[in-house]
This record gives sequence, C-alpha cells and structure tokens, in this order.
Amino acid sequence: MTTLLMPEVDQRVLFDKEKIVSDLKKFTNSNNIISDSEGVTPYETDALSAYKQKPMIVVLPENTEEVSDILKYCNENNIKVVPRGAGTGLSGGALPLKDCVLLSLTKFKKILEVDYENRCVVTQPGVTNLSITKAVEDRGFYYAPDPSSQIACSIGGNIAENSGGVHCLKYGMTTNNVLGVEIVLMDGTILRFGGKKIESEGYDLLGLITGSEGLLGVLTEVTVKILKKPQSVKALLLGFDSIEEAGKTVSDIISGGVIPAAMEIMDKPLIKATNDYSKAGYPLDVEAILIVELDGTESEVGVLITKVEQIAQKNKVKYLRASKDDEERLRFWLGRKAAFPAIGDMSPDYLCMDGVIPRKKLPEVLKEINKLSKKYNLRVANCFHAGDGNLHPLIMFDSNIPAELKKAEDFGADILKLCVQSGGVLSGEHGIGIEKRELMCEMFNNEDIQQQLSIKKAFDEKSLLNPGKVYPILHRCAEGGKMHVKTGEEKFKDIPRF
Amino acid sequence: MSEVYSPTSEQDVQTFVHSCFLEGSPIEVMGFGSKAIGREIQCSKTLKLQKLDGIIEYFPDELYIKVKPGTSLELIENTLEQKNQELSFEPSDLGYLYKGKSLKGSAGAAVACNLSGSRRFKAGALRDHLLGFRAVNGKGEVIKSGGSVVKNVTGYDVSKLISGSYGTLGVITEIIFKVQPRYDESQTLIIYDLNLKKALNVFSQSMQTSYEISGACYYPEGMASFFTLNDIDTNSSITALRVEGPKISVSERIKSLKKLFSDHQNIFVLENYQSRIFWKSTSDISFFNNSENTVVKISLPPVFTEEFLQQFTNEDIKFVVDWAGNLIWIEIAKEDSVLLRQLRKKVINFNGHLTIMKAPTHVRIREDFLTVVDENMKKLSLRIKDSFDPKGILNPGKMYSGL
Ligand SMILES: Cc1cc2nc3c(=O)[nH]c(=O)nc-3n(C[C@H](O)[C@H](O)[C@H](O)COP(=O)(O)OP(=O)(O)OC[C@H]3O[C@@H](n4cnc5c(N)ncnc54)[C@H](O)[C@@H]3O)c2cc1C
Repeated sequence: MTTLLMPEVDQRVLFDKEKIVSDLKKFTNSNNIISDSEGVTPYETDALSAYKQKPMIVVLPENTEEVSDILKYCNENNIKVVPRGAGTGLSGGALPLKDCVLLSLTKFKKILEVDYENRCVVTQPGVTNLSITKAVEDRGFYYAPDPSSQIACSIGGNIAENSGGVHCLKYGMTTNNVLGVEIVLMDGTILRFGGKKIESEGYDLLGLITGSEGLLGVLTEVTVKILKKPQSVKALLLGFDSIEEAGKTVSDIISGGVIPAAMEIMDKPLIKATNDYSKAGYPLDVEAILIVELDGTESEVGVLITKVEQIAQKNKVKYLRASKDDEERLRFWLGRKAAFPAIGDMSPDYLCMDGVIPRKKLPEVLKEINKLSKKYNLRVANCFHAGDGNLHPLIMFDSNIPAELKKAEDFGADILKLCVQSGGVLSGEHGIGIEKRELMCEMFNNEDIQQQLSIKKAFDEKSLLNPGKVYPILHRCAEGGKMHVKTGEEKFKDIPRF
Repeated sequence: MSEVYSPTSEQDVQTFVHSCFLEGSPIEVMGFGSKAIGREIQCSKTLKLQKLDGIIEYFPDELYIKVKPGTSLELIENTLEQKNQELSFEPSDLGYLYKGKSLKGSAGAAVACNLSGSRRFKAGALRDHLLGFRAVNGKGEVIKSGGSVVKNVTGYDVSKLISGSYGTLGVITEIIFKVQPRYDESQTLIIYDLNLKKALNVFSQSMQTSYEISGACYYPEGMASFFTLNDIDTNSSITALRVEGPKISVSERIKSLKKLFSDHQNIFVLENYQSRIFWKSTSDISFFNNSENTVVKISLPPVFTEEFLQQFTNEDIKFVVDWAGNLIWIEIAKEDSVLLRQLRKKVINFNGHLTIMKAPTHVRIREDFLTVVDENMKKLSLRIKDSFDPKGILNPGKMYSGL
C-alpha cells in the first residue's frame, strides 16, 4: 500500500470514540452504528483498493432527519464525516479517515415515485443506477447515464462523481440528467435544489453539487429525468491500419453532423488482449478498432449507418461490418467490455488512468504514450471514449518487482500531465478524489484553487465533510495520479468495464 | 451619472475590478446594456464589456467555440451556421421583447442570464452548454473552471454556478460553448383549436413516445396573430410539436404523430422553412413584441400548468406555454402589482417560480425579480456570493436584496 498524506488525525476525537458512539445512538437505531474494528473493515476502501483506512465509526442512517442530526452533531463536535454510496468509486472519494464517521447511504434504497407525467423518477440515493432503469423499462423508459458499474453503483454516488457512460456523448453526463436533490449540509441544514420542474432560479446549486465528490453536502433524495428508449439501435465495427485514420474518422463523423450514441476506439495491444480474452472475433490485422453505435428511428439509423460507412471508407477503413441484429451488436461490445479483465489476465497489476483530450489530439497523444511506455519500460494498452475524448490508458506492471509501482505511478502522472498540456483535463468521469488531487495544480493556479476552497467553506465552514479529497492537501503541487488495481484484489471483478 | 468603463482586455478588467475592490466601489456589470434584466441597481461605476469581444477560437470538429464576453450572439450564430452547427439551447433574441426588433445580446450576458429557447426541455439549458469560462471575481482575481472538452470532473463545476448568476459572482472574460450540428430538417405538427387542457395532454402523450419531440408549445386563440407565416391560420389556438433530425426520420416521426393524434380534426404540418421560423419566433418571445406591460416567465412542473392558469381565467392576462408545459410566458397590465403578487403566490404553491423578464422601472424597483423563498437557500447563496465577492461590489442586489 502506498502511503498517503491525509488531514491530521484529531486525537481528541479518537479518544472520545466511546462517547461519540453512545451519542450517535440518540440519533439512529443502535443497530445502525458499527464501531468494532472487524465490523468497519468492509468500509476501509472503495474500488481504488491500493488505499485502505478503517474509519473510526460507521453509521447507516435511515432517513433525512437522522442524517441531519448526525451531521449537526459531528459539526458541533468537530468530527470529520465521509459519505459513502456503494463504494465503487475509482478515485478514492469514499476512502475513510482514521478519525471519521463514515456515513453510509446504503439504507436509502427505496424508489419513492415514478412519475411518467413529468417524466422523472424520485428516489433515495442508495438505489443503484440500474434499478432506476429497471423500474421504468416496462413502459419503454430508461435512465440515460450508464456507467459500466451500473449494477452496483448508487445514484447518489453518480451525482457526487458526475458519472458518465458510453452513451454520454449523445445523452449527456449525470449533470444533464438530474432534476433535483434533497441535500443535508454539514451543519444539519436540509435543502432542496431543483425538483420536478426543469429549471430553477437563483444560483445553480444543483449544477454545482453534481460532481462535487461528496464535499459539499450529503444527498438524501434525488430526482432524475427518464427518457423513452430509441426505436432502433445498430453498431458498426470498423478496423483501420492506423490510429490516425480511426481518429480522423471520428472527427469527420462529428463534423459531418452525426452525433452517434457511442464511439469507442481500442488500440492494437488492447484489441489483441480483449479478443484473446472474450473471443469477440475482432480483426487482428489492424492497428485500431472503432465501434460506432447509432440510434433513433429505423430509417434514421439506416441513413446514419450509410453516412458513417462512407466517412470510414474515405478514411481507408480496412475492416467494416454493420450489426445485423442485437446479438451481433452486443458481440461487437463484448471485447470492449472485457478490457479491464483482459488486461488483468495479461499482467499481474495495472493502473487505469482517466484523462480527457481534445479528440483531434488522439494520434499525437497515443504516440507520446507509446514513447513513455518505452521510457518507463512498461506495457500500456489504450481504450478511448473517442466521441468525447475520454482516454483510459491501462498501464501494466508487477508490484512484486521493487519500485515498479512507483514507476507505473510516474508513468500515469506523465500521461495525465500530457492530457492537460494537450488542452484536456485530469478526469473525465472517475473524479479526482485522493488519486489525482496533487495534480490539480497542473490545471489550476493558486487563485483558482483558493476560489474553489472558499466555495467549500460556504457549504461547510469547518471543512469537516470529506476533507483531504479533490484539492491538494498542502495547496502546492506534487507528483501523484494513479489508480492501482492489484489483480486478485480487484473489487467488482464481475462488472464489465469501459 | 455612473462612470462607464469599457475594457478591451482581461487585464483591464482585472485592474479595474481590483481597484474597485480596494475602494469598495460597487460596479454594475453589463454586456451591450440594451436590456434591463434583473433588479434595478445603482452603482457608482459601470463596466461595459462590449469592447472585450471577438471569437478566440472555433474548432467545428471539436464541437466548441471560445469567445470573449462582448461577442454578439449574432456573430457567434452566423459563424456556426457556416459550418452547419449551432448552439442547441436556441438562445432567445430578447431584442423583440425589449425593442421590437432583432437585437441579440452579448455572449457574456447570455451566460449571466442563462436564457434558453424552446428546445430547452430536450437539449438542456444554456448552463448545459457552457464547458468552461474565465472570469474576474470580486477581489480582482482571474479565476477559471472547466475546459474545452465535454467530459470533465476536475474540481467543482463552477460553470454551472456562473450561468444564471447575473454578474454577481464574477465578470466573465472568456466563454467556451459546446456546439452541435444543426439538424438537417425541422418539421412541426400543428393542431388547431385545442383548449389548454387538451394541448397539455397532447404534450404529455407525445413525450411518452420515442419520437424525440424537440419543441412543444401552445398559443391560445388570438395569441398567434403576430405570426406572418404563410402556412398557418393565426386566429385559432395552436398546439405545436416539433421534430428534428435527418429528413427521412423526421417525415416518418411526423407521420407517426399524425396517426397518434388522428382523432383531432384540424391537423397541419409546417415544413422545414416555416417550421424554423415558427420556433425562432417562439424562442424569441415575439408574441410579446416590444411589450409595454409586465412580462414574466413562470416555470413549474407541467402537471400543474393547467390548474395554475385556471386560477387566472378571469384576469386580464395573456399567456403562451412552451417547453412541453414546463414554461408559461405571461403578460399583465404594467401597473398591476396586485395580480403580479397573486401569480407569484400561486406559483409558489405549485413548486414553481416566477421571474420578471420585462417591466417598467417602478415595478422593477418595487417587486422582487426572482422568487426565492427558502431562507436557508438565501443564506447559502449569500455565503457563496461572499466567497467570490467578499465586499459585495459586483452587481450588488441584482438578483435580490443582498445578492
Ligand atoms: C468496475 C467499475 C466500472 C466503472 N465504470 C465507470 C464508468 O463507466 N463510468 C463512470 O463514470 N464511472 C465508473 N466507475 C466508477 C464508479 O462506479 C462511479 O464513480 C460511481 O458513481 C460511484 O458510485 P458509488 O455509489 O459507488 O459511490 P462511492 O464510491 O461510494 O462514492 C463516490 C463519491 O461520492 C460520494 N458520495 C456517495 N454517495 C453520496 C451521497 N449520497 N451524498 C454525498 N456524497 C456521496 C463519496 O463521498 C465519494 O466521494 C466504475 C467503477 C468500477 C468499480
């Protein structure tokens, strides 16, 4: 495990642990409080499992009033609080602190209302992303953002991380699909931002808290919009002799006026790895694969497929196949979805990065990544949400070799810096958490960071809610930026990964 | 008279705001200064951003455009159109409401007011299309957030906060908008002679289909008379549904909609050109062209729209419903503060809000511009304001007292 600088532990709080436990019992059923070392162990990490820390106490409140009472109490007694959804976060946002109360929202698991008239669902935050779609799909509706962790991750966590999915190119990220929340501030104040109407007045606090990684308040209720499923969905599997041609095809599709539902690129190492692993039947004599998914009415999809085929041909496509039916479409995705486990099969360990770059910079950035791969003498495979520029390089290494983890981490940090230098950003969907906080200074200067920290103070004056996350802990820049997945220890192994 | 300063660079803005910060002098921030939106405020200094203008960069295949705040929306939209792209939140041209003619404002003002046109319920509001910005906060510091890429979870999404903050948090100096391809084809199904209740039913029914409706508005009888479109009968009430996309798909979906609503007698389809003109006029609030009265915008959950309006059937109001029932534009007699307050009171009961979009100065002085009722929300908003502008010098009181 890598050591990590976290906010100073408040010894007084640790010393008062027994009293705090008994005080908390005033606010919620005593069964909802866990304070023994064994009992809190399942909460010691999220999906960034290189970092572990047992919390002092875990509380599982059952309703908003309890959350409010607990937060108010912690605020008055200077006790740090870390909110947690399903713990699938990849940047360590829900990593506990030694002296914290970990507030788990898993008991908030009721869907409160399905409102077809207003096309929305009102739900508690602990409900999984997929259950929202499940609740409305019999009427042909769905909830659009689809992170690949959707069977496990909570909608509250999605809002906290502004999660994406392969379809956010056309349907937006979480922020474009949330209508309202009930939120409890650290001092116990209960507020509502937004609601069933599509627009609100005053400062857009709903927009601000989406993607705020649990630093501004605890979500206790959520209203999301639901959409009607498209009539028809088809995919194209395209193979190219170079990444440049694949990248150019993506640019041409977009400047040609087509916004596909999804566009994914894989490079040669990943094509081979995923094909070996999943037997997806990908062409192996190409340098890059591009999967383009199109949806709409039957005829619309037909028109779009033809248009994309023409663009691909102009860019010297070497392999081209359109899905005949849903089964074949899903087979195109099979390998792509197996990207993480396939890499896990090839290498004892890997780091998954999550940078964003301008689409057109892809060939350049990949070339540079390959150079870095030689410099660090570590293998790398790349998948790319090409439509929106979100790059996930997978760095392979072996933590049994001394100093190789450090080397992989340095490689990762270099990649993220490269993303920023190319005009991109540090995170597209996994958030900053503890993973990338020291790299924030690559993007922001001190004034930007101070402004953001003072917004935090407006919500949480004493900085007790999820401290140590997102912002550089010493307000200066240092090296960092990694997600370490140790094969075998990997959490949520069975979830297909994008 | 307030002293007007027109900066030509971000550095100018910074120097100016910093010196005002030191002196504690309040500044009224404006774009072209052509429209009086927000509360009436008095400041010793005015910062007019008209001369800080120009397109910084535009990359059609990266789907973004970066501009300075004084750039006119007109220039932006024309530039995008040449590449067959657009701002898909359909910015309203408030010139019609304010001056009776086209007068698109500045990009900075559009962001500050977060105004979005008829496609809002499908494509999102302006705030959903602001990828990033630079601004000078009330301490005279340059701050930035976001970037030029669409996917970004790197720190708080301050772009959302700055949209619709009416210049109270920072003077915007650079804006990055997401752009989208223009749709090849736009067609509109018009159903005549429905009453409001039936129209709302049509909206609701069509929104439950997969036809991707991108406009849904209702003009009561007499309200459409301003249209000079060849193809529509402007004396009846009009219920309109827009469909956009590739031509073949649009025609198909329109056909399906016609079938769905075949029990209605009076159905008509507006083809591409006429459809585009129809929705532009609707987004531009042309029905209250150069209004001398008080014009308000009401947003509420669509299921309450009918019940809300029912309460005012005996009053002298004119209205148009847009955003598939989520938005009501209302015009009332300019002096009628009693009615204005009644509207506001009722709208609160329906979990909605009312914003004054145009009113005579004395009404703007007397009446609240927004409808913020929750005291805790006010307190939090004030703390946020304080974090950007601790001395309260940027557009003080523009949104409500203290903000
Ligand atoms: C296999 C796998 C695949 C993944 N694929 C994707 C993907 O495709 N796209 C993507 O975007 N992400 C993906 N992720 C990341 C992760 O699933 C998302 O970030 C998800 O939104 C986290 O939700 P959670 O409930 O697990 O949150 P947690 O991990 O429990 O918490 C995440 C953050 O949210 C905060 N938080 C949680 N609940 C609340 C609440 N109610 N109120 C306030 N703050 C709260 C926490 O403090 C923490 O900072 C993947 C993860 C895994 C393991």
